[in-house]
Amino acid sequence: MLTNYKTLKAGYYKVLIGLLVLTTVTFVQPHMFLTGHIFATQIFIGLAKAWIILMYYMHLKGEVLIGKTVIFSVALVTFFFLVVVIDVEHFQFKDASYIASHEQSDVSHATSHED
Amino acid sequence: MSHEYVPEIATSRDGKEHEVQGWQGDFYGGKLGFWLFMLTEVMMFGAMFLVLTYYFSLHHADFLEASSELNRVLGGTNTVILLISALTMGLGLLKMRNGDVKGAKLMIWATILLALIFLGIKAVEWTHEYQHGVFLGLDALQSGNAHSKPLGQILFFGMYFTMTGLHGFHIIIGIGLMLWLLKRINAGKVTTEHHILHFNIALYWDLVHLIWVFVFPYFYMIGAGDIAGGVINAH
Repeated sequence: MLTNYKTLKAGYYKVLIGLLVLTTVTFVQPHMFLTGHIFATQIFIGLAKAWIILMYYMHLKGEVLIGKTVIFSVALVTFFFLVVVIDVEHFQFKDASYIASHEQSDVSHATSHED
Repeated sequence: MSHEYVPEIATSRDGKEHEVQGWQGDFYGGKLGFWLFMLTEVMMFGAMFLVLTYYFSLHHADFLEASSELNRVLGGTNTVILLISALTMGLGLLKMRNGDVKGAKLMIWATILLALIFLGIKAVEWTHEYQHGVFLGLDALQSGNAHSKPLGQILFFGMYFTMTGLHGFHIIIGIGLMLWLLKRINAGKVTTEHHILHFNIALYWDLVHLIWVFVFPYFYMIGAGDIAGGVINAH
């Protein structure tokens, strides 16, 4: 039996309210503030929600070993993100690449508009 | 129905019965092992977000235009449903730890119901998109024909169906796990004292929620430029 059951239960509801507030912000943000930076702001709000979920719903608060493992994992993914970002910035076959080619996109777009 | 813990029993060749000393008795080990599994999931979805970011950097305007075509009301409703389901799952675990097994089972059923509603809404959304000619394999998402969308939009919708589909698959797995959990609770294999399985399945459900926290803004919100659903700074 838990001695602090009511406190823990109240905590769950507080986290829910916090997440609902952030979800509301997610919806109104593109129309109300930082409208020129929608993507960055949305990801920032997502990170805030993720932190709350990890700490309180997934019980990472106070976990040392598992916390370090999660940090390592996220750092690894971030590292690959950075490698790809740098690689894309200096992509030497951009003109020859089908995926990277904007001309392909423009051609197919133009074709669809003609129809 | 009683909820006394029933240990796993293995019978040796000579007919003697032995209590299995498995993960039920090692709470921290069970938790750590499951976290390691979840980190592989993070890396898998992380790689998909990486691909998505790469395409987004190349075809910025197409991504914003494609995003503005998605139904944000349905996507947003699913976001709230997953949020509430994370609460019911957490409360279920709390009730189990507090000895309220019946309440815990009720909360698991509530989570299953919410998960089914999520899948139903997703099915409505996909059907709507199919009827508008936007689906994997249809002409609009195939390059080189008269009905093709621009390449950036083809990539966007390809990633959208792949990632939301994979996420939906995780939801289905989660429902299966919760049904299995209910079976184990009824069999007395998961109790207030031995609830690592319940703990780990609640963690899994939080991970499914966590992934959606990034899937939703990445696909649905980046193109929400103005009230009319148009696109700002797109071109």
